[in-house]
Amino acid sequence: MMKDVIVIGGGAGGLAAAIEIHQAGKDVLLIEREEFLGGILNQCIHNGFGLEVFKEEYTGPEYANQFIDVFLQEKIDYLLDTTVIGLKKEGHIFTVETSNESQGIEFYQTQTVVVSTGSYERTRGQISIPGDRPYGVITAGSAQRYLNTDGLLVGKKVFILGSGDIGLIMARRMKLEGAEVLGVAEIMPHSNGLNRNIVQCLNDFDIPLYLSHTVTEIIADDHQRLSKIKVSKVDESFRVIKGSEKVFEVDTLLLSIGLIPDVTILDDLGVEIDKRTKSVKVNQAYETNIEGLFVCGNALQVHDLVDNVTLESKRAGQAVVRYLNKDKVKENHTLSLNPGTNLAYITPQRLDMGLEQENISLSFRSRKKMEKAVCKIYQNSQLIFEKKLFFVLPAEMETIQLPFKTIQDQGDLKVELEVKS
Amino acid sequence: MYDFIIIGAGVIGSSVARELSKYQAKTLCLEKENDVANVQSLANSAIIHAGHNPEPGSLKAILSIRGNLLYDDWEKDLHIPLLRTGAFVVAHNKEEESKLEDILETSRKNKVPNYEILSGDQARKIEPNLAKSITKVLSLPSTKVTYPWEVAFACMENAIDNGVEFQKNKLVTNISVIDGGFEIEVNHKEKYRTKNVINAAGVDSSNLGAFIEEPPFQIKPRKGEYFVLDKRVEGFMKHVIYPLPSDKGKGVLITPQVHGNILLGPSSEYIDDLHKAKTTDEGLAYIKKHSTALAENIPFHMIIRSFAGIRSTSTYDDFYIKESSENKGFYYLGGIESPGLTAAPAIGPYLVNEVIKVKNNYHPKADFNPYRSQRLEFHRLPWQEKKKLLDEDPLYGRIICKCEKITEKEIIDAIHGPLGSHSIKGIKKRVRAGAGLCQGGYCEEKIMKIIARELDISPLDLEYDDLKSKLFKEETKVKK
Ligand SMILES: Cc1cc2nc3c(=O)[nH]c(=O)nc-3n(C[C@H](O)[C@H](O)[C@H](O)COP(=O)(O)OP(=O)(O)OC[C@H]3O[C@@H](n4cnc5c(N)ncnc54)[C@H](O)[C@@H]3O)c2cc1C
Ligand SMILES: Cc1cc2nc3c(=O)[nH]c(=O)nc-3n(C[C@H](O)[C@H](O)[C@H](O)COP(=O)(O)OP(=O)(O)OC[C@H]3O[C@@H](n4cnc5c(N)ncnc54)[C@H](O)[C@@H]3O)c2cc1C
Repeated sequence: MMKDVIVIGGGAGGLAAAIEIHQAGKDVLLIEREEFLGGILNQCIHNGFGLEVFKEEYTGPEYANQFIDVFLQEKIDYLLDTTVIGLKKEGHIFTVETSNESQGIEFYQTQTVVVSTGSYERTRGQISIPGDRPYGVITAGSAQRYLNTDGLLVGKKVFILGSGDIGLIMARRMKLEGAEVLGVAEIMPHSNGLNRNIVQCLNDFDIPLYLSHTVTEIIADDHQRLSKIKVSKVDESFRVIKGSEKVFEVDTLLLSIGLIPDVTILDDLGVEIDKRTKSVKVNQAYETNIEGLFVCGNALQVHDLVDNVTLESKRAGQAVVRYLNKDKVKENHTLSLNPGTNLAYITPQRLDMGLEQENISLSFRSRKKMEKAVCKIYQNSQLIFEKKLFFVLPAEMETIQLPFKTIQDQGDLKVELEVKS
Repeated sequence: MYDFIIIGAGVIGSSVARELSKYQAKTLCLEKENDVANVQSLANSAIIHAGHNPEPGSLKAILSIRGNLLYDDWEKDLHIPLLRTGAFVVAHNKEEESKLEDILETSRKNKVPNYEILSGDQARKIEPNLAKSITKVLSLPSTKVTYPWEVAFACMENAIDNGVEFQKNKLVTNISVIDGGFEIEVNHKEKYRTKNVINAAGVDSSNLGAFIEEPPFQIKPRKGEYFVLDKRVEGFMKHVIYPLPSDKGKGVLITPQVHGNILLGPSSEYIDDLHKAKTTDEGLAYIKKHSTALAENIPFHMIIRSFAGIRSTSTYDDFYIKESSENKGFYYLGGIESPGLTAAPAIGPYLVNEVIKVKNNYHPKADFNPYRSQRLEFHRLPWQEKKKLLDEDPLYGRIICKCEKITEKEIIDAIHGPLGSHSIKGIKKRVRAGAGLCQGGYCEEKIMKIIARELDISPLDLEYDDLKSKLFKEETKVKK
């Protein structure tokens, strides 16, 4: 079976990209491993979604439904409860290997693949929290799924490590379900969540936030259930300050210590990796170094707001259409876009000078909180563009538009955040 | 009255159970945990050592050399996974090179097969990531790696198949000497009588002996911590890499695993508590520091987990495999620390044939079945076989653990199998669902639902591991 485009993942990203491509008259197949469309939004029953795209506040499922409705009206082909287990490219053709209960293992062929497989949560093992290994140390997203999808409460006395948004939202959610939430510890001197979540989820419920603190030991009871944690203060270089230890008696420790783009299905393709985003490198069309392979949504970079996933994935969809229409004007040569010292990362990582367009969307995060920040873009040691951002935070991804005409044909670009003097 | 009661179902108790199942004897194995291989046999390096370390002539030397060879039979008969890695013991300078000569000498005396000395450069041709500072290497081609708990599963499944009784969640709380044997108290209430007791209780073996006598050795628990690297590092190192041994044991190693992961560790630290296998900042820092002497550019960013195990080191400086001198019929398998896993296939037969001499009192079973069917790993099968299985059962098409590509059918089989498990950890041990990159973040919820469905129980009754380790505290809404 040959398709113009196969979209892997039916979350906010995959839906937006598939709709965009289908509306341009292309033949699309979307593949989703869950039994439903919408992705992670299905378990986010709180509101606060859609302020940018719809100028309205929806819950996660409501936001997803806006797109699922259009997707279904468009009569786009899709497979649910189907996992993509392999992706290969031979010549110009990709083979997508899928597995499900009704058809077993199938192979689909396509010229173009959009990967929008979302992200997975960082676990205890990746940050090596020492101590026993009991049950009750759970990623916040898993606990959210248990609670919101299955109606099961993982604990009654809870502490949260990491002030990411999911953790903050779960602090409030567990409290509303009658659990005691003893606090949130964050190793950084600032919160990693959106400000509105600090106010609405912690302050409004008198849940203490311990900045510059981390969990230093996990202690089990005799039946491998969490019974206590030790929380200590850290100095500027994240070293534990001796004697600052507090003990909390809890049955659950929720981890909200970061999301990592899930691009494991690209393992066999030799795609260029960006150590900063822990995902792949793309150009301004969201295309990787493998021609015809596009990546968007949380699979490309972790977004705080679903609206940004939607906007990015629409752009990716439009780029796929241009690719299929062979709209490339000039011979291909690329410039690289490098983050300066105050940037944690930047996407896209490359500019393809053959792709003419009016504006290029650049997304990045700052490494630290900066007031009166200016984003400055240099090429060949010259300032080619600057934009005032006023206030930047590591917790909030910034997106700016760089006019294509400001870019010179040769010379790598460097993007820097500076404080306005 | 049982003929034999084995206490403990680690690799050692399981190996003994299988060996006894060859005879017409009534045998029961009691295990305090909710699964076999849940203590020392769960947390170790998984290496089938070549036999280059133990003192020539010791039981450790004799049984580990035998065990290493027997694993080839167990691979065929019991379908135990083996990875034939070979190993390098590495030296960094003249002083270490002379110590390497001592190990060479031990290897010669212990009849380790095909060992040879390589220069640092020769070794780096084979293992390009080996540390540049390494000057000489002792190559041990017979070193292999296995999947330790699969060793215990295989033996115990085969033993059960041949008539041994196995009961889990049975903590032995007392032993008393009775006329013609022993009475064993379990969970402070039930009692079992037996002619012979086989004490394979690992770190608890001296405490069990103490129920009836002054035990002939004491356990001095020694902890080892590890990092696990994700299987995507497969190929970073193909051999087991040993530093030179020190007074702290074999030292921090780099060990490739049968499923592609790599272990870094163990550390070595004497501890007070027999059961507290906790990881510490110091232990983990020690592993990082010492492993960097073995290889360049270790992919520490691929760490997905850390864990610790407790060695049953004893005051007797060899394996203690003997009958009690005071209480005939009470057998000790004590101090079975490393190379206990290596020696496991030899320890069962040694105890049964050379120490107990079971043959003298019991007839062999004519219908003993030495084979155990293979645990199927669907994603590793060739396409034709997959196709066939999918026709038989479409649930092979449903991927539950996406990191390790484990299907719903494999999970159902692990629940209902001969040594089935109903806990999340038990399923993980059997099929590796949840053992990958996301550590169950994605699939645990799905596995939990499958177990509840298969057993027709409420999720509130599901366990993580031990019977009291419930996953959930309460339900929040009435379900349709
Ligand atoms: C817990 C949580 C709370 C959030 N809260 C807010 C909020 O309050 N406000 C806000 O605006 N934003 C919020 N966000 C952010 C936003 O909702 C997400 O960033 C966005 O929904 C991600 O969309 P996505 O399509 O990139 O990923 P996902 O929604 O994760 O979709 C990826 C899809 O791909 C599928 N998939 C993955 N691998 C495969 C495969 N191999 N085969 C087939 N299918 C596959 C997955 O099943 C999934 O459905 C939150 C995010 C999370 C995780
Ligand atoms: C860190 C570490 C690394 C190692 N690396 C290697 C290696 O690479 N190669 C190698 O060959 N060996 C290695 N070993 C040694 C190997 O793991 C052990 O020799 C082997 O697992 C011992 O098995 P066992 O059955 O004696 O002990 P265990 O697996 O501990 O089994 C004893 C069982 O007895 C049960 N039990 C205890 N008390 C009671 C009671 N009262 N009632 C009922 N049941 C009870 C326990 O629950 C347990 O299941 C290592 C060990 C450690 C700790």
